[in-house]
Amino acid sequence: MDQAAKPIALTPKDFKSALKPVWCPGCGDFAVLNAITKALAFMGLPRENVALISGIGCSSRIAAYTSVYGFHGVHGRALALASGLKAARPDLTVLVAGGDGDGLSIGGNHFIHACRRNMDLTYIIMDNEVYGMTKGQASPTTAPDWTSSKLTPRGSGIRPFQPAGLALTAGASFIARGFTGDPNGLAKILVAAMEHKGFSFVQALSPCPTFRPEQMQWKLHVSAFDEETSSDPVEAAQRIQADDGMSTGIIFRNEYPVFRPGTGVDRGMGKIESEFTI
Amino acid sequence: MSLAKKITDLDTFLTYSVALEEEAAGRHDELADMMEVHNNPEVAGTFRKLAHYSRLHAQEIRDHSKGRTLAVIAPWDFGWESMEGPETADISDVNYMMTTTQALKIAMGNEQRAHDFYHEISKLSPDEAVRALAAEFADEEKEHLELLAKWLAKYPESGEEMPFDPDPAHMPE
Repeated sequence: MDQAAKPIALTPKDFKSALKPVWCPGCGDFAVLNAITKALAFMGLPRENVALISGIGCSSRIAAYTSVYGFHGVHGRALALASGLKAARPDLTVLVAGGDGDGLSIGGNHFIHACRRNMDLTYIIMDNEVYGMTKGQASPTTAPDWTSSKLTPRGSGIRPFQPAGLALTAGASFIARGFTGDPNGLAKILVAAMEHKGFSFVQALSPCPTFRPEQMQWKLHVSAFDEETSSDPVEAAQRIQADDGMSTGIIFRNEYPVFRPGTGVDRGMGKIESEFTI
Repeated sequence: MSLAKKITDLDTFLTYSVALEEEAAGRHDELADMMEVHNNPEVAGTFRKLAHYSRLHAQEIRDHSKGRTLAVIAPWDFGWESMEGPETADISDVNYMMTTTQALKIAMGNEQRAHDFYHEISKLSPDEAVRALAAEFADEEKEHLELLAKWLAKYPESGEEMPFDPDPAHMPE
């Protein structure tokens, strides 16, 4: 065999950029970066065939720390950008990443519609239940009685979203939860998510050592779901409701029709412009 | 079933050993990067040295494996008894203000777990050659522990608590 024609196997390190992350030491987001790079190396994907789109926030800096194509986008709009990219370049593996605030508050509407649209994207929410970059405010996944923020000294009093439940209700075809204390387990989930045809949602429990130091104890509470992955949304809903939010694994997977844009995007600008001629 | 009992041949044992050291090296480098970014050069240097030693050990094991075919195992299929390899430091154990003493104590914990891993294989593997090599590796890890203890003795004792931070990131009113 012609040795020159052999593709060089990439290692996880090859999927990291030369930039050193500015995340706080101890942050769970490092493990998400590890899991992504391990998953990409395992899948043997060429770097030029992968794009990582992110929003705004600590976790959204992740796009710069990989060596695949990346776009550090607008707050809450990572899914909109990624959907556009996937429409134009369906051949790419498109990963989308951000935090709980970026994805479920500022980008909440994009999230639910991305779930129901079921484009072939993998969306990772790095969930630390806090806005970290702006120095620690309650996010949509923060418990109502969290009182350590100056903005909500008596707690927000608002019940948090259940990201997995929200994704299920909105029609996502793949829903999983991983934990950054187990980067290898998270990598396995990410491989399954990227291989899934359709919108795959992965909630990564990612402790914030600076504004939520109590989350460093999550490693004592996280465990794998006892049950196998369900393809029944009712069963998955029951499992999500019965869980304390600390169980990991692929909760739900089903084959729903994958949204692909019509041929319109291939028609060329001339044809499109002619349709607007008065 | 204990992982040690599942390691039934030398190729598998060496595959695990290389993975253990390479994962540890990668994590030490990562911790060194964190400390560099957060202007803790002394601890960054310590983690960088530890990464270097882990890489040397990985290379020694690779040299030992010449002529053998090491298996390709997905990171999640190793089935480590903790969430990562036994010699891999836990990311959540570090802080940007940590001292060299605290870093070395983390390293000693890693070496102790690596020693225990090899020691268990040396007792429980069904293969005699694996048991013998695992006993050698366990002894090496014990030597590493002794070297770390000497290194640690050069630094003042410090407890679990992080040094006083005059400008904490979060100061609720």
